[in-house]
Parts: sequence; structure tokens; C-alpha cells
Amino acid sequence: MNNMSKGARIAIYIGLIFWMLVNLFPVYWMFTFSLKDNAEIFGENVVGLPRHWLWSNYTSALKTGHIGVYFLNSTIVAVTTILITLAVALMATFALTRLIWKRRKTLNKFFMLGLTIPIHASIVPVYVTLSRLHLLNTYWALIIPYSAFSLSMAILVCTGFMNEIPRELDESACIDGCSIWGIFFRIIVPLMKPAVATVGIYTFLQCWNELMFANIFISKSSLKTLPVGIQALSGQYTTEWGPIGAALCLATFPTLILYIFLSRKIQESFIAGAVKG
Amino acid sequence: MADCAVSPKVKAALLRLSRDPGGTASPYTGRKITMHKIYSNKLHILIFLLPALILFCGVLIAPIGASLYYSFFDWKGIGAKTFIGLANYKELFTSNSIGFMKALRNSLLLALLSVFLQLPLALGLALTLGKNIKGERMFLSVYFMPVLISTVVIGQLWLKIYNPDYGILNVFLRKIGLESWTRIWLGDKNTALGAVFVPTLWQYVGYHMLLLYAGVKSVPMELREAAMLDGATDAQVNRYIVLPYIKPILRISVIFAVTGSLKSFDLIYVLTNGGPRHATEVPSTLMINMLFLRNRYGMGSTIAVMLIILCFGFALLISAMFREEE
Amino acid sequence: MKKVLAIALALCMVFTLVPAAFAADLPTDEDITLTMWCIATESDANRPAYEKAVAEFEAAHPNIKIEWEAFENQSYKTKIKAAMSDPNTLPDIFFTWSGAFLGDFAEAGTAYCVDEAYKPFAAELPEVMLQNSTYNGHHYAIPLTYNIVALFANMDKLAEVGWDHVPETFEDLTACCDALKAKGIIPFGCAGKETWCVTEYLEPIIEKTIGYEELGKIFAGEATWNNPAIATAVDTFQDMINKEYFDPAGIALGNDEVKANFLAGKTAFYQNGSWNCGEVNDAGFNAAVALFPVMDPAKATYGQVIGGPADSLAVSAYCKNPELAAAAAFELGKDICHYGYLAGSGLPAWTPDYDTSAVKPIVAAVADIVAASDGMVLFGDTAMSADPANTYLDYVSQVYGCDIDGAGFVEGLTADLG
Repeated sequence: MNNMSKGARIAIYIGLIFWMLVNLFPVYWMFTFSLKDNAEIFGENVVGLPRHWLWSNYTSALKTGHIGVYFLNSTIVAVTTILITLAVALMATFALTRLIWKRRKTLNKFFMLGLTIPIHASIVPVYVTLSRLHLLNTYWALIIPYSAFSLSMAILVCTGFMNEIPRELDESACIDGCSIWGIFFRIIVPLMKPAVATVGIYTFLQCWNELMFANIFISKSSLKTLPVGIQALSGQYTTEWGPIGAALCLATFPTLILYIFLSRKIQESFIAGAVKG
Repeated sequence: MADCAVSPKVKAALLRLSRDPGGTASPYTGRKITMHKIYSNKLHILIFLLPALILFCGVLIAPIGASLYYSFFDWKGIGAKTFIGLANYKELFTSNSIGFMKALRNSLLLALLSVFLQLPLALGLALTLGKNIKGERMFLSVYFMPVLISTVVIGQLWLKIYNPDYGILNVFLRKIGLESWTRIWLGDKNTALGAVFVPTLWQYVGYHMLLLYAGVKSVPMELREAAMLDGATDAQVNRYIVLPYIKPILRISVIFAVTGSLKSFDLIYVLTNGGPRHATEVPSTLMINMLFLRNRYGMGSTIAVMLIILCFGFALLISAMFREEE
Repeated sequence: MKKVLAIALALCMVFTLVPAAFAADLPTDEDITLTMWCIATESDANRPAYEKAVAEFEAAHPNIKIEWEAFENQSYKTKIKAAMSDPNTLPDIFFTWSGAFLGDFAEAGTAYCVDEAYKPFAAELPEVMLQNSTYNGHHYAIPLTYNIVALFANMDKLAEVGWDHVPETFEDLTACCDALKAKGIIPFGCAGKETWCVTEYLEPIIEKTIGYEELGKIFAGEATWNNPAIATAVDTFQDMINKEYFDPAGIALGNDEVKANFLAGKTAFYQNGSWNCGEVNDAGFNAAVALFPVMDPAKATYGQVIGGPADSLAVSAYCKNPELAAAAAFELGKDICHYGYLAGSGLPAWTPDYDTSAVKPIVAAVADIVAASDGMVLFGDTAMSADPANTYLDYVSQVYGCDIDGAGFVEGLTADLG
């Protein structure tokens, strides 16, 4: 940085700040129109801060739009998916990296197939299976497929982390008389803590956005997730932008606020996944 | 690092490790056989693998099999199935009214833009931020933000941005006197595809940037400094030190960018659902259209199979290309 | 047939005091829950009708609970089609469009035949209203309301250019549109994002060019699309687009936005289903309703309309107690029709047995149009089955985007559909 000319440095900063505005502006605009009425949005005051802060938009998004319920549902689905993905991936990774058997490399490659399979390609067969198991209209109808589709990435990340745990640890534990369960739960799992956050982030990105499964597998409005709820609400309020804006903000800001507090941690975990994976 | 219940054992193990880091001259070779025994127990292997196998095969692999099976049939989703062999595949590639080739072209174009526009931008940002710039953290945080916003929210937001009457884009163009530049962005066949691509590419720049940033940061400082001492310019350091070093991550990024483009669905579904007049159709929207609007389950399954083959094929191809270069 | 339908409807309007038939005995005492899916979301004009109907039903049958869910139109179509792949996942009662949409369910045996359940209600629900949900002589759904394509006009805007009635010939309509344009008022709004809205313009033009009988045959697959008069009709429509009679922004908008533009006075006309009557009536301007003018007087008359009973409730053949569900669906359907009619979201398929003096003027005007109609063809995308219907919609959207002209439209449809 220091060996750069002043002009180059200024140019770089202008570029960086420009790109920052490109990222921030849509969110800013979304926030301001969530507090305006149509008259302001449609001409009087397009980009400025709202003249009258119309918090009533938020009340209608929460009351008529049930955004609160959808947010809760999405959170429940996301958290459970993360936990299940993590448990299953840790076990599988243990078998794939530690246990000794032929063809484990082949199986690892087999799991990596999942990285490229588009989630929508399996929609009808999965629907029929879930219905036979009487799981439609439950959180499980989403948790199970989301976990399955997050599994490959989770195994990829966990493999990176687990390979870094020295094998001598297992040996010593074994000498101390640990069973395979002891080794797994007392040695490996505690040392995999950094992977938890990483897997969590990748899984979150996968299941927080998903629209099609959520739309088709869930019919009870009390169980709908955010993407479906937002989509439905926008269908209802096409001409009233305020409440839609409010719903979009309600769906976004809790995550963003959490991100602001944890951004360093989140980035580090994400990065760890990249380097190790 | 570990909680109380665990720490004694871990500590003991670490202690032994520090005495005999290589583990080769271990006096416990006899015990090693025990571990080998535990670790090669078939039952243990099965138990550890079973949940993953059930989940993976049940939700990913079996449906692929089912889709492959349905793809040989003419089937409405209800009623009788008629076996028609490869007729669906033939129709998919030859029929103009289905427009699969156009959908495929669109998603390949998105993949190209993703690799040659989105990734270079992400790489540029990563390289710049990787040089300990002031405000590095803040830039990083802001750039990653769109990744965390739900795709449906982004879609709805951009719908408003593109609105022909009140959208911020046209309003802005009118304000600065470029009235003639205003368009019905998502309704015009000529602009719709571009208009759909912009938010798609925009959302994931941060994702790739952070991946690549991780790589840039992992380049050992000594390597950089040595090159600098030899009088290498910034660009040269990037070209000859950093890029070769982060090649594995670059490979992952390219694979994700390409398969992600082929799989892209949600944002396009929200913005145009493939319209106007199929201008923004991609294989996934076409598949949903066949399955749920036209009741052609056989054809929908055929597209599903083609999508999987394409994604997998491209992943292999990209891996091979990176290996070739080495 | 269409004539019979029109007369039957007219009779419904006149004899509003047909005695209520005995309520069907719902043969059970145990507590039962029936599930129902529909598209009456919270912003839907029909929502209050469903709410009232369900509440009345539950009050009349305390042991039966109706658990109902409403979905936005597009996602509903996806859901219900997905449910077809495993009929066990269908709710007991579901909203459906009659015609080919329901036909798929009837053919596969997933929709329950309601012939038996219909008997006790025959006096209140003329059989002619079931014609679009009848396959091989059996009835498969309970019609709710009944709708036609209507040309709504904002008379305040028309008055500004010197019109005190909706133009009834094409020359007059063109002159009126030119005058509106000269005054800076956009004549029409049409949502290009939802192709069915384009058919609400195109189908009446085609009907008024080739006649309702021919169009009905084409939709039924009994006549060919290869008809030069259709090309002429399409060219007429595109001529109107090229003359900028349509709001250019409409091509990227959905129906709700276009409708809102009309209700807010941005466009002078809006041609769409008569389910919009209630909203147009309450829009706060002087509104009128009419039909699209005749294009070829040799083949068509002013009184020919597009429409019919399409919105219906069907019963799943896979539900636990289909007889009970069917009886319940009839009762619900009757009440939904009742309240929907009073709210202006459609004409009644059921003979009213209640005070209809509160019916909104615009609704009454549409009812008069139907009573005087000379013939009727069901909406094209409802009449055709899913695959050809979507092919047809594809071509219609290309027409609206001016990618193809009339000749191209006819040529393409002849090649794909015959």
C-alpha cells in the first residue's frame, strides 16, 4: 500500500467506496420506502428520508402479513437444519477421514456429487416420499431436504478441519482406554468447534433463501417460511409499496443486525471453510 | 478449546504428543493395533456413515433415479404412464416451442458473465482488500452483506427498482435528463435478460470475494516481501505470487459460479418467471413450467436429468482444465 | 346451449324468491374436520365471502370444523398440480377452475363425482351452471360465481372527450381512444406479466370477428386455428397497440397494478373479468360497463360474450368421507356465491333466495348484459387442457409483445394445436 502513488491510492478508494454504495443503496432505499406512503414513493420524495415516518406499514406487515410468524418458522427450520447437518456430517466425516476401510475415497467423491445437484431437480419425487411418510405440512418437510442438500458442503468443510486434528490424539485416547464413541465425542467433536460456525453459515445460506420446496411442501399458513410469506405478501400488496417494504425490512434487518455484531466471526468462519475446503 | 469433562484426556494426549511429535518411535505400537482394530470395525463404520447415507441417498440420489425413470415416459402426473423411450430427450433438443436450447443458452451466458465479470470483480476486490488497506474490515463486511439477504427479498426489491413508472432506476434516468434511456426493463425482450442478470451477479460478488480474500490472506508474507525486495511491482506480485497460490480456491470459485448459474432459479422466478416471452427462461424455470403448468411430468423430469448432467459435467470439465494448467 | 344458459341466468335474476330447498342432511354426529384450499387470500375481493360462508357453515354444523388455507393464484396452481402426483395430499375440498383444469382431476379419478350430492340442491342450482364441470355426463364440481369479460369504463374520463356512453361500434371506440390520447389520457391498461389478462382483450376481439360458435369449436379442438379471420382480429389488436391505445408500461406489470391504474383514473378503460365489478363500482368515479364492439357484423353480434361459470369447488375422491365433504362443499358454495354476488365479485351461479336489492349497480348492469347475451364461450385458457392452453398463452403473449403478427399467430397455433 505504501509504495503506491497518492493518485493510485485515491483511485482505489473511489472504486471501493463506489462499490460500497452499490451494495448499500438498495438496502437504504428499501428502508426509506418501507416508511413512506405511495404518494411519497411515487414522486414527491423518491430517495430522501421519509417525511412522515409511517410505522403503520410495519404494523400491517406484522399483522396482515404475519411476517413475525414466518421469521420464527424460518429460524426454527434453519437452526434445526444446521444442527442435523452438523451431526450427520461430523459422523460421516469421521468415518471418511479416520476410520480405515477400502473405497472411502470413492464414497467421499460420491458425497461431493451433491455440490452440483440442483435442488429443484428432485422436487416431485421428494414430494411423493414426504407425503408417504406423512411429513408434509411439518417443519420436517423442509428440514430433511435442506439437511440433505447441505450435507455435501458440510462434509467438505468438516474434512478440512478434521484432517488438521493430529491422529496421535486418537491414539493416545485409545491408549487411555477410550471406546470409538469416547474418541468421537470427547476428542474429535470438541476440537471441531470452529467447523460448527463455518458449516452453520454455509447451511444457513442454503436454507434461508429456498422458495420452491417451502411453497409446495407447506400448506399451513402457521408453518410458512419467510421466502413464501414475502412472495405471498407481495402478491397481495402489489400496489402498496409501503407494507411490502416493511415486510422486506423485517425479513432482512434481524439477520443484518446479527451480522453486524458477528461480522468478524462470520467472515472468519466463512474464510476457514474456503481455505480448508 | 475443550470443556472441563474433556480437557484432562485431551491434555494428556497433547502432552504425549509433545514428547513424541512424529509418533513413529511410539512405544505403543502394540496399542496402535488396537486402534486399528477399533477403526476398521465394520459395524462402527456403518453406524457412522448410515445417517449421511440415508439422508443423501433418500433425498438426492433416489429422486435422480426416479427422475431418470420418469424421463422415459409421457406422463401427466396422474393417470397412466406411456413409455416413450428417448422421445422426451429428442423433443427437448429439437422442439422450438419448448425452447430448451434458448434456456440453456441463457444460463450459459449467465455462467460466462459470472466467470468473466463477477469473478474478476470479486478477485479485484479481494486483491485490493488483501493488502491491509485502511477500512478493510468495513469494506469486507459491506460487500458480503447482500449474500445474507434472502433471494426473494432481493428479487422483490429489484422488482421495485425496475418498475417502469416509479422504479428508482427510471426515476433517476429522468432526473438526470436521460429520459430516452428509460426502459420497461423487465418487460422489454431486449433488456429483460440483462436486467435479471444484474442482481444475480451483484448478490454473489461478495461471496466470491470473501472466498478469494481468504486465499489472498493466506499467501505467506515472506513470499510477498521477497518478491517486493526483488523489485516486483504490485501487479507482478499478484500475477506471479498470489494467483498461483490461490489457484485451488479460484477453481472452487469458478465451479460454484458456473454450476450456480446453471442452477439459478429463485431470483429469476421472482423477477420474471422466465418472461417476457421466454426471454429470461433458464432450465430450472422451464422445468417448473413443464411440471406444474403444463402437467408434463415426463418432460419436466427430462429437464431435471439434463440439468444434473450439465452441472456435473461442467464441474468435472473445470476441474480438468485447472489440472491441465498445472 | 349458451342461450339456455343465458335464459337460466335471467330467470335466476327475476325469481329471487325461489324457496330455499331443504338443507342437506349431513349424516354425522362425531366431530369432524374438513380441510379446504382456495385462492381467497386476505387481499382478494372474495375473502369476506369465504369467511362468512365458513362461519355460517360452522354455526349450522357445530360438530364440523372447516380448516381452510388461501394461496396466491400462481403458487396455488403449482401446489395443486404437485398434489396431483400424490392425491392423498389433496385437501378434502379445493378451489378449481372448471373446464380442462378440473377435467384432468376428473379423468384421473382424483375429483369426487358429485352427482348424488347435487340432487338435494337441484332446485337452487340450475343444472346448466354445472355444464363446464361435467365430464362424460357426470358432475365433478360445485360452481360458485359466474363471470364474463367486461369492458369497464371511467365515464368521467370519457366525459372529458365528450362521450356520455361507452362506444358501441369499433369506429366510435377508435375515435374515442384518439380523443382520449389527444387529451393525454391513456385509453387501455393490460397486464403483460400475466398472459391471461391479454386474453381478456384478445378473445373478445376474435369472438367479435369470427363469431362465438366458431371460437367455441376452436377452443374445444373441433375446428382449426387456420382461419384468416383470426389473423385479421389479431392484427386489429396489434393495430390498437401500435396506435398506443395501451399503456406501454403494462407489459411489465401484473394485473393488480394495471387494475390499480384504472381505479386511480390513469387509464380510461379496463377490460377484464366481471369479478372486478365490486371494486370498479366503489372506485369513486362514475363507472360504466359494456362489451367490446362487433368487428364483423356478418359473423358476430354485440351480445356475444366470453365467460361462464368457472370458479368452483371440487371434492377430493381420496378424502375420508367424500359424501360428507361434497354436501359441505355444496352448502359452502351456495354461501360463497351469495356473499360474493352481494360484494360484486361475480354473478351468482346459484339462484338467489335472499334480498338482492343491495346488489351494486355495475353488477346489475353486467347481469343485464348476460341476460341479453346471444351466445357465450368459456375463457380459452380454462377451456383448453394445460399443455395446449399454455402453448396458446405463449402465442398470445407474443402477440402482445408484437413478436408475431396475425399471420404468425395463426400459423404457429395451426402447427402446434391444429
